Amino acid sequence: MTDGIHSPFEGTPVAVVTSPVPVRIEDVIVHHEALKTFVLEAPFPVAPGQFIMLWLPGVDEKPFSPSLVTQRWRLRAGRIEVTARAVGPFTRALMACRPGQTVGIRGPFGQGFSLEPCSLLVGGGMGIAPLRYLADALDSNGLPFQAMLGARTAADLLFVDWFQRRSASFYTDDGSAGVSGPVTQSLDVELESGQFRAVCACGPEPMLLAVKKACETHSIPYQLAFERYMKCGIGLCGQCCMDGTGIRVCKEGPVLTARELAGVTELGLPHRDATGARGPSGHI
Amino acid sequence: MSRGTLLPKSGHHDRRLEVSIAGIPLRNPTVLASGILGMSASSAGLAVALGAGAVTFKSCGLEPRKGHPCPAVVPFEHGLLNAVGLSNPGAEQMAREIADFRQRFQIPVFASIFGKTVAEFGQVAEIISKARPHLIEVNVSCPNVESELGTPFGLDGAVTAEITRVVKRASEGIPVAIKLSPQAHGIGRIARACQDAGADAITAINTVGPGMVIDPVLRRPILSNRVGGVSGGAVLPIAVRCVYEIASQVTIPIIGTGGVSRADHALQLILAGATGIGIGTGLHEAGDGVFTDVCQGLSDYLDRNGLDNLDKLRGAAHD
Ligand SMILES: Cc1cc2nc3c(=O)[nH]c(=O)nc-3n(C[C@H](O)[C@H](O)[C@H](O)COP(=O)(O)OP(=O)(O)OC[C@H]3O[C@@H](n4cnc5c(N)ncnc54)[C@H](O)[C@@H]3O)c2cc1C
Ligand SMILES: Cc1cc2nc3c(=O)[nH]c(=O)nc-3n(C[C@H](O)[C@H](O)[C@H](O)COP(=O)(O)O)c2cc1C
Repeated sequence: MTDGIHSPFEGTPVAVVTSPVPVRIEDVIVHHEALKTFVLEAPFPVAPGQFIMLWLPGVDEKPFSPSLVTQRWRLRAGRIEVTARAVGPFTRALMACRPGQTVGIRGPFGQGFSLEPCSLLVGGGMGIAPLRYLADALDSNGLPFQAMLGARTAADLLFVDWFQRRSASFYTDDGSAGVSGPVTQSLDVELESGQFRAVCACGPEPMLLAVKKACETHSIPYQLAFERYMKCGIGLCGQCCMDGTGIRVCKEGPVLTARELAGVTELGLPHRDATGARGPSGHI
Repeated sequence: MSRGTLLPKSGHHDRRLEVSIAGIPLRNPTVLASGILGMSASSAGLAVALGAGAVTFKSCGLEPRKGHPCPAVVPFEHGLLNAVGLSNPGAEQMAREIADFRQRFQIPVFASIFGKTVAEFGQVAEIISKARPHLIEVNVSCPNVESELGTPFGLDGAVTAEITRVVKRASEGIPVAIKLSPQAHGIGRIARACQDAGADAITAINTVGPGMVIDPVLRRPILSNRVGGVSGGAVLPIAVRCVYEIASQVTIPIIGTGGVSRADHALQLILAGATGIGIGTGLHEAGDGVFTDVCQGLSDYLDRNGLDNLDKLRGAAHD
């Protein structure tokens, strides 16, 4: 990012815009029918790993971590890119959105990734999206990193060309691209190499827990981006609190380190749903 | 980037701030209001760490409810609008969370219940009583689900008194507080009817309105439910007036709630007659330090006025 303002979110805290701001959809990039990137006007800055609440009037409002943010935001010329996958009513309605339409966004919410030299980025599925923004930020700060990215199939593997120009290895469950099998399979070997001083991960919770375990084995600090059901986004409603310490994923998270995860007892359990109940039907 | 401040540990201890509500001793008068943080034992536990004197859980009914789509909580300059829509995991699950809280924390815990019919209030009270909360607060006033549940019970003194009797019968000796709506005409008289029906305390107020915020570019209401209850700074004068009116009609303790984010707000409610001070939106308006800051401010006031407890201040604004 060579735009005028350098990392506006480092140092002075950025004011959070808590009521939705109407923004134009500038562009829609189609990865496939159910996986698209929406390029939005940026009325505020968002750090890698932080999230916004995206409002489709008449539908609902849901949390998303941008896959890229360009930072000429003070001139209102910045862009927030959100990459989303159709999984339910909201994201299906989002897939139907076209350039020129207006949506509402508020944020930036929560704590993002801190930029560390010699980071290993581990991404699974949609988790690759926020890591792309993190990688971009590391790049523009001259901080070296490597990425290990996995998905179910080649079609679900996001930003392959973009990451290939940097330093990345790819994994798919069905072997349709890169190495066959889980992205975490060679994590121990990579961490053993001693070339990494930090690990940043985003993806399904079992993947995050595998990363956590490997990092603990090799005594490497980790930053893991979690998802929980969110309603207010501002740390009030209690919906996204984790059992154990009650930390709010929308406020203390979504990126959590060993320090914040200490005492949390619900990792790997089915998530609480919109009612607040934790059930076997819950999503993990 | 610096990590967020995590859990300022409850800092303020001052025995002069201890109060008692329906025989329940509180380390300080602040009470986490229903609907803020109290979804689970752990989320309510966060308020303990932040210094609250007691915590109220989110209102629960007989069945689980998802609530309204988002945006369901929208801040504006002077507070918040919310139309969460009484999302809750149902009384059985809530009872487990409350029982878990009781095991893990020493601070008094208040359950909050609602029903679709008078009889249902009794059923929910019976389920929740098994968890042995220190108090059961009865939400007769939530305006969000009016369209679905009909006119709020709390607007009618006779119905509110009937609910009070039903809940008292079902709650096995656990103290009962009735939480009143500022929309009620003659809120003092209704509080009196609750007291006569056996209520042990009154909580006032629930949210005001409903209100609406409209986005001028999108030209539509921001809340998915279009309307929502107003809370925070905007409603403080209404809460103060309601507590004042109630205090002139009842002798049972009042948990004054609405718009408190600073000690001078709490002081107004105490001078109007409140024993407990509910805090909800203040957590957003003043941040995580709100409970300890309010308590610190009350201690400072006692210092300046040479007082050794809050008793002489309670209701002192009445002639
Ligand atoms: C911090 C954060 C960042 C996210 N970033 C992205 C992203 O960049 N790209 C992307 O495609 N998805 C992202 N998600 C997930 C996205 O919010 C859900 O896919 C979306 O809410 C699904 O809504 P739906 O109506 O389409 O599906 P539904 O059928 O309603 O739900 C599908 C699943 O999505 C999850 N979900 C639904 N509503 C919420 C909610 N309010 N809060 C949290 N999870 C919910 C649930 O686990 C549910 O099982 C993120 C989630 C969080 C918490
Ligand atoms: C997000 C939110 C959810 C709420 N949910 C409930 C609820 O479930 N039951 C209830 O009795 N009151 C509920 N309330 C009302 C509060 O408990 C309180 O009475 C009101 O907000 C006024 O206090 P405050 O200004 O300190 O927030 C809710 C308020 C907010 C802001």
